[in-house]
Amino acid sequence: MAARYLFNAFVLASSCITADSLAAGPMQHATQSPAVAPQPVKKNDAPVNADAAALADFKKRVDDYVALHRRVAKRVPPLKETNNPAEITHAQAALEQALSAARATAKPGDLFTPAVRTAFRKVLIPEMKGEDGHDTKAVMKDDAPTTVPLKVNAKYPESATRPTVPAAVLMNLPKLPEEVEYRFIEKHLILLDAEAGMVIDFIPNAIK
Amino acid sequence: MRRLLIASIATAVVSSAVLAQEVRLPLKEGSIRFAVIGDSGTGDGHQLRVGKQLAAQRARVPFDLVLMTGDNLYGMERARDYEKKFTIPYKPLLDAGVKFYASLGNHDDTNQRLYKPFNMGGERYYTFKPDRSSVRFFALDSNYIDDKQIAWLEKELAASGSDWKVMFFHHPLYSSGGTHGSADLQREKLEPIFVKHGVNLVIAGHEHFYERVKPQKGIAYFTLGSSAKLRKGDLKRSALTEKGWDDGYGFMLMEIAGDDLYFEVLSDTAQLIDSGVVHRTGKVAPTPGRSSQPVVATKPASVP
Repeated sequence: MAARYLFNAFVLASSCITADSLAAGPMQHATQSPAVAPQPVKKNDAPVNADAAALADFKKRVDDYVALHRRVAKRVPPLKETNNPAEITHAQAALEQALSAARATAKPGDLFTPAVRTAFRKVLIPEMKGEDGHDTKAVMKDDAPTTVPLKVNAKYPESATRPTVPAAVLMNLPKLPEEVEYRFIEKHLILLDAEAGMVIDFIPNAIK
Repeated sequence: MRRLLIASIATAVVSSAVLAQEVRLPLKEGSIRFAVIGDSGTGDGHQLRVGKQLAAQRARVPFDLVLMTGDNLYGMERARDYEKKFTIPYKPLLDAGVKFYASLGNHDDTNQRLYKPFNMGGERYYTFKPDRSSVRFFALDSNYIDDKQIAWLEKELAASGSDWKVMFFHHPLYSSGGTHGSADLQREKLEPIFVKHGVNLVIAGHEHFYERVKPQKGIAYFTLGSSAKLRKGDLKRSALTEKGWDDGYGFMLMEIAGDDLYFEVLSDTAQLIDSGVVHRTGKVAPTPGRSSQPVVATKPASVP
């Protein structure tokens, strides 16, 4: 478990490292031993690995989506605290429809690109192995809905449960802004717009 | 050492004795009294009966707030569902100014946080402290425990001083349920924080029965998810179980006065299912296996 966590932490931390930050110079280390002193990195070195680059790309795509969400949200009735539940359902439906229209050409893989899917599976699959993995899968199966359509821009069914995302899994995945959530529907991972109740993208068979 | 051993044995005997003893809420002046319902949002006859009994009990035990342990609205969440599954069953309480504080269950849309009568302040997780009390309540979203929620919890708990710290959320960290059982993955993340910051009481739902778990690491645990749903026979009594009931629908009434928490669990026909008192003892040195703030234990009540 610890080794897995370290691997995941490395991949995720690496995803925050850009070519520019690498080019800025060597990181400061506590040790002064010349034998381990880091060498300057050349300006055009690529990000540390393909998974890190994919996750950095994913973050950008999520940020772009959230920027769209926020722009669209300004044009529809606001989701705000109210005594009238009709206002909540009306605002949610309006946001979902407006977002769906604004990304009418969206397709599977727009956020979860093939490279991102590979990187996610590398993080997720070890989490499902062994005794801990058995527990994780049990939690994800518990009250998991089966009626959620795996379709970009699909409305999350109102009567479907919101399956629990195990904290250990959540903490190993890239962090998301407030508007967006991960949810597992059986073996599939969806990226959900939590406010609009809409499927943004998905990874089929994200876990085994 | 010998005295300690005798005291421990006596405490154990006394702790057991409280189970058979009928303890009613003492209604002390200046105390905080609240009710707890869980897995309540069906809109069916069971919810209506529990709602009616809650209102009836308020004549005996005046309380000003109700904690909801999640699954506040099963199925559809249209405007009329809010009415059918919330405002109608609890109308007498709402009309009397009783405040409900909701936490989110796995059947709840996160936009419920925007419904003012749920008093969530627009957030998935939040904290509040009733006026002039020494009790701080924390509602968590146990469906989605991310880094942000953990950081928030750490910060709020650290700032809560010597208040009673009462957590309520959906998934029970300890449970003898046959269908779900203990939420181990949530426990892995939350329990160390609870222990570190001296949480006293944790109330959950999700399991459609009632269970009082033996205090774990100095923290009292109650599960109540049978305010409208019931899984008869699903409580598999275990070493965790202090008291359990999976034979009917019910709710809890609690009162915190000084360092004592009194509780009653009642059925929808006003049958007393369980009662007792949880006592906070003094501060203890923090260890990984024990709450760093006042330890919680059951003891016989010195109530009228």
